[in-house]
Amino acid sequence: MDPSLRIVPASVPKTASVAETSNSLGLHDTLQYGPRTIATEMKTEGSLKDRLYNWEETQDNLKLTMMRNTYGLHAPMRLLMERRIVSANPHMTLLPQTNLQLDILMGRDESVEAADVFAGPLSGPPLDIRQDMEKKHRI
Amino acid sequence: MHRLKQGEVNLGTSIMAVQFDGGVVIGADSRTTTGSYIANRVTDKLTYLHDRIYCCRSGSAADTQAIADFGHYYLQMQTQVMGSAPSVLTAAAIMEKMCYQNKDQLSAGIIVAGWDKKAGPSVYNIPLGGGLFRQPWAIGGSGSTYVYGYCDATYQEGWGKDETVKFVKNTLALAMSRDGSSGGCIRMCVITEDGVERKFIPGDELPRFWEGKEVLGEATRKPLAALSTVSDVAPMAVEV
Repeated sequence: MDPSLRIVPASVPKTASVAETSNSLGLHDTLQYGPRTIATEMKTEGSLKDRLYNWEETQDNLKLTMMRNTYGLHAPMRLLMERRIVSANPHMTLLPQTNLQLDILMGRDESVEAADVFAGPLSGPPLDIRQDMEKKHRI
Repeated sequence: MHRLKQGEVNLGTSIMAVQFDGGVVIGADSRTTTGSYIANRVTDKLTYLHDRIYCCRSGSAADTQAIADFGHYYLQMQTQVMGSAPSVLTAAAIMEKMCYQNKDQLSAGIIVAGWDKKAGPSVYNIPLGGGLFRQPWAIGGSGSTYVYGYCDATYQEGWGKDETVKFVKNTLALAMSRDGSSGGCIRMCVITEDGVERKFIPGDELPRFWEGKEVLGEATRKPLAALSTVSDVAPMAVEV
């Protein structure tokens, strides 16, 4: 995100895109997802959802911008570099994944939230490991 | 941007800050309303940003508290890095940047005032949409609209501390007596190089001005004074 002193997420303009259901050629993947419908393409669902979704990122961005203003350009860059180093995970996408180092850096190692208790996986076992690896390495 | 979001608490207010020779005097009323219910009648709207820098908050209570919290956080970091107290201009500038960049979501009018070594006493007004204005005295909030004339007519440069305190007290009392969303008691801070002195004026000790009297039907009412002019006449003997 750009450096900004925004305290709460801005309301996002309404968009529709084919990106999520696209195949490698950039078109809608009918074989996998069925015929193309507007319902799947609508990206904005409501300002509350976007607000909650972007909340942590916006607050984090505000703190990083304040650090940039106070300490210099290097400070947020170093923090983000450390986070990226710690998130580099060479393993295959197995389902339960915990990253203690990332939790420590993000400051949530000493808190227990609802997501930690009700931690069932969102989707079942990976149906297409190759597609998951493609997404992860951004091929 | 001006409208409060649903369920929000309004700081409908009278706030003011005046600069004098050795420091600044800031003052505010103490009423916070949610619609017509007074949620807090002893609110403290004078918020600490740094040892000699305070801000007066008006507008939405939640928005101004959030901005003041981040301003305080930022000034603490600045003090760590610079090794000395930040200037009032620094504090006012960071508050203004936050007000401007969030202007679509916020409803906050803030006055930042304080004393610093470089510029001495200063008052900065940050109205609703952002924007930073340095002034010798500034008033804000919903009650301020009723006292612009009084302030323009009364303010003189070169006042000392006591006259400035009296000016703030009178102005706020007038604003509170006319504005429905201001009231309660007056809280003041006098910020000088030596420290911050808090003053509290309860509601029954507020300065009182013309409070009006009923004029309707006065012409037909017998004035009491007329009887005293004929007091030497003895009352007439009446047979029962």
